[in-house]
Amino acid sequence: MFEAELKGNNEIMLTGRFDASQVEKAKMVFDAVANSCEVDFTDLEYISSAGLSVLLVTQKRLSKSGNSLKLTNMNKHIRDVFRYAGFDTVFEIA
Amino acid sequence: MGKKFKRDLSSLGDIFEFIDEFSVKTGLDESVVFTMNLVVEELFTNMVKYTSGNTNKILLELKKEENNLIIHLTDFDVDPFDITETAEVDTKQSLEERRVGGLGIHLVKEMMDKIEYEYKDRQSKIILIKHLEN
Repeated sequence: MFEAELKGNNEIMLTGRFDASQVEKAKMVFDAVANSCEVDFTDLEYISSAGLSVLLVTQKRLSKSGNSLKLTNMNKHIRDVFRYAGFDTVFEIA
Repeated sequence: MGKKFKRDLSSLGDIFEFIDEFSVKTGLDESVVFTMNLVVEELFTNMVKYTSGNTNKILLELKKEENNLIIHLTDFDVDPFDITETAEVDTKQSLEERRVGGLGIHLVKEMMDKIEYEYKDRQSKIILIKHLEN
């Protein structure tokens, strides 16, 4: 199960497991983001490189207009994945 | 234990269930289960994406021997693709320099202790080993 839900104008809630089979579902939400946005990982259990790619594409696009994603409340395992990927330097992780 | 999975991203749910079943039987902790999910997904997804036109199922085998977790992924009737020979990803690059893609194999290399590759009779086999803490 995976859900990416836009809450208000500047927050996305991720829930469940963000694997390679969920990329299209996630893109529909992330492609619609036009301004800086907080992505809440509280209920996200798992992410693979497919999910990281969706976030990276969004971050690259937003940075052209001076905006960015801020990632919050990651569990330890997901935080490790971001660190292994070197994504802790291209995202603000709170 | 081993099982063959259809060459399709929709198999991922069944693969995760299979890993869960193995983990319960062998008493692995959640952090090892997370790692197994990730490395198997990355390699399975690569096999699905880069060998189009092949309808053979992919074999996943999981073993625990003493303090080692051993994962085999075998792809049948394919050209060789040795993941141990792939270029390193520069994780120090800036956002602008970062390329999308290529991260999966990098994560596998980071998370496993040993990776071997065998190619024989058009069978491509990846062997992953993770040392388990007591």
